[in-house]
Amino acid sequence: AMAGGLEPHLEALRRELRGPAVLSVLIALIAVAVTFLIWRFVQGRRSSRKAVLLLGLCDAGKTLLFARLLSGRYRDTQTSITDSSAVYRVSRDKSTNVTLIDLPGHESLRLQFLERFKAAARAIVFVVDSVAFQREVKDVAEFLYQVLVDSTVLRNAPALLVACNKQDVTMAKSAKLIQQQLEKELNTLRVTRSAAPTSLDGSATGGPAQLGKKGKDFDFSQLPMKVEFVECSARGSKGEEGEADLEGLEKWLAKVA
Amino acid sequence: MLDFFTIFSKGGLVLWCFQGVRGPAATAPVNALIRSVLLQERGGNNSFTHEALTLKYKLDNQFELVFVVGFQKILTLTYVDKLIDDVHKEFRDKYRNEFQQKGALGLLNGTFDFKDDFMRLLRDAEESSKVRAPTVMKTFEQSLKSQKTVKCMIETRGEKPKEKVKNKKNKGSKKDGTEAVAAPSKASAGDKQLSVAGDKEELTKDEILQKNREEFFRRHMKAGEKSRSPKPDAQKEKGKKPRVWDLGNSNAKVLDYSNSATNGSAEACPVEEFDPDTALGDKNREPGRLYDLEYESDDEAEEEKVVQNPSKPSVKKGGLGGMFGMLKGLVGSKSLTREDMDPVLEKMKDHLIAKNVAAEIAVQLCESVAKKLEGKVMGTFTTVTSTVKQALQEALVQILQPQRRVDVLRDVMDAQRHRRPYVVTFCGVNGVGKSTNLAKISFWLIENGFSVLIAACDTFRAGAVEQLRTHTRRLNALHPPESHGGRTMVQLYEKGYGKDAAGIAMEAISYARNQGFDVVLVDTAGRMQDNAPLMTALAKLIAVNAPDLVLFVGEALVGNEAVDQLVKFNKALADHSMAQTPRLIDGIVLTKFDTIDDKVGAAISMTYITSKPIVFVGTGQTYCDLRSLNAKAVVAALMKA
Repeated sequence: AMAGGLEPHLEALRRELRGPAVLSVLIALIAVAVTFLIWRFVQGRRSSRKAVLLLGLCDAGKTLLFARLLSGRYRDTQTSITDSSAVYRVSRDKSTNVTLIDLPGHESLRLQFLERFKAAARAIVFVVDSVAFQREVKDVAEFLYQVLVDSTVLRNAPALLVACNKQDVTMAKSAKLIQQQLEKELNTLRVTRSAAPTSLDGSATGGPAQLGKKGKDFDFSQLPMKVEFVECSARGSKGEEGEADLEGLEKWLAKVA
Repeated sequence: MLDFFTIFSKGGLVLWCFQGVRGPAATAPVNALIRSVLLQERGGNNSFTHEALTLKYKLDNQFELVFVVGFQKILTLTYVDKLIDDVHKEFRDKYRNEFQQKGALGLLNGTFDFKDDFMRLLRDAEESSKVRAPTVMKTFEQSLKSQKTVKCMIETRGEKPKEKVKNKKNKGSKKDGTEAVAAPSKASAGDKQLSVAGDKEELTKDEILQKNREEFFRRHMKAGEKSRSPKPDAQKEKGKKPRVWDLGNSNAKVLDYSNSATNGSAEACPVEEFDPDTALGDKNREPGRLYDLEYESDDEAEEEKVVQNPSKPSVKKGGLGGMFGMLKGLVGSKSLTREDMDPVLEKMKDHLIAKNVAAEIAVQLCESVAKKLEGKVMGTFTTVTSTVKQALQEALVQILQPQRRVDVLRDVMDAQRHRRPYVVTFCGVNGVGKSTNLAKISFWLIENGFSVLIAACDTFRAGAVEQLRTHTRRLNALHPPESHGGRTMVQLYEKGYGKDAAGIAMEAISYARNQGFDVVLVDTAGRMQDNAPLMTALAKLIAVNAPDLVLFVGEALVGNEAVDQLVKFNKALADHSMAQTPRLIDGIVLTKFDTIDDKVGAAISMTYITSKPIVFVGTGQTYCDLRSLNAKAVVAALMKA
């Protein structure tokens, strides 16, 4: 009796399905699916890599640089514990925006935050304290090395700018000198980092990535991304009330955006 | 009176600053506060001393702000805590818009003109601390004593001593009983009532029996809490019972529990038959044999059962409130309060302790995470548990990240360039694996082309020098001089047993300098951290020879002891050093890592206490079992359920 009850219903269903309504339903579904995919694709393209990261050691001047670029004014700063991000209008005539993200430079935080934001990075500004550089060269090189061998960074190859900050102080080293020293240091680091004992879970600390070309001395031109060196001063040579000296940086940002 | 008051965002922008009368710039002390307290997860207590200043701080986790006040250490200002709270509330309410709507740009562009409000609050706080009338003593009429009747305070002479003694015994046993019962089931209301009833000295024989019966039922029948709590209530409502003072009205017969026959008689107890079998117990015992400790797990099982019962009523109580809380949490506008986080934090703390993190460190960590999360607004579809777990995970990774560079090879290369040997000293308690790991590290250094001189400064333990000699022989067999351009890659410098370790170390270092060795590895004797003369000797060795790297070798199996060991070692090194900045432990070698599966808590304990990095991890006894620490893997193993 059950089967008999179902039969006429099934017949009705079959008749319904054969009509042109089926085709329109199918087309509607496909349209929705395609729109959804396109939307996701566009979203992905748009939101990925709109960010410019400000990296560097503690006290390099990243937060002040961030404040100057966004508001033009001098602000007192303390050691950052979390990231700050804001939209930066690159120049008055163009309407392109980038998201400036200021990451903390403290040793216990910087790798964590780099992990979080590296996938979204379109460009990286590595801020270096030109005054303390001589003392800190090994730490600067180590952080730069960690950024450069990161697999996501190597894959996306965001443009890299090394901003030699604090040029308003007379003892500041020039960008040329900093570039040479960093190249030498990274050259040594390649060897020592890859020779370090392997990590606990088996993955090597330096990653299978080799920085630059084997056999030749390390040079920034060997990297897959464009690297530039620029001098700047977030504080400005006229003291706190004056303008900051950020021309090179702003020009580069305009280029990259 | 304040030196400064700063308000800044967690992203580093100073929003408002107040400089006191003669205060120096606030930046340096606040930076020190951030780096030593907030970033090292020591945020449990909210005050910090830096040179001559005391700094108190408060975090606003909702808008990501930090409020810091600094004043001279010698002053004790009582109004500071209240001032911070008031300023926090005012500032937050006044500039709520900037924070909520504009984010970072609002912080950058906004002007925070807070001076007038702050001065007002400061004045109020100062005045409130000054104005306090001296407390007036209570008059006799107001005290409780005047309301007692005279009769109840009369003591009858004759019966007093015996009853008093018996009373004390009863009180003692009753208190023990209630305490032992109360201890495993702290959170239950029923127990509190019982102990309160017990304290009220209303005990007649009947009530004692009643209570014992109740305990018996609860322990063995697992009766629910609710059935018990009406009973003390019912007893109390039986009508107003007159107070029965043991000293007063009751007679001795009621309180005399001793056996009638034995009161003072010479033959104290009837002569029992001495049964050697029952006395000696086990019939199959071998004479002279020493048996192992028998582990009794019955008590623990009982305590667990008792604990589980009380936890049920508290869960039922939170039912309806929890429902609303959960819905609100789903919507995403709920801010975390201490009460929400406490149960989760308790569980996480127990989990950490189960994973071999030292108990006090687990407590401090959870406190710090609670401080960091209090008031934070949770995102959509996140539960309290997941937020707390996430925060705890970040805190753990943060602790394990090295605060300074960990690259031994790079430093050895530096020392090579300056034509002096790089000296590494290994210290630690007995039996943690110093000599074994020293051999592993020298193998690693040889593989990288550096020549090693091993200084045998363990002149106490029998066989220490022979052990190192065997290692040297093996390493030379693995890396013969022929394959390294005729240079012996590893050599042992020893002077036998019984000599002064510091002297041997000094001679070894100058020998290495003359012979052109790249690295000197100094092996010291194991010593317990509270053995003062040995700790002095170690401190002297390190102070005199000024090694480049002082490595503390600790085993991963250690539990709460790790804290004690590291603290005492550091203290000894600091006390006996003549220099302005004493050489402390620079790094940690974590050994026997293969013996623990995922109970990796010792790594956290050690890095938290010293804030120095774990340089090497030893995972076995062969030369290749040397690893470097991977913070993420360790934290993953820790957080795994």
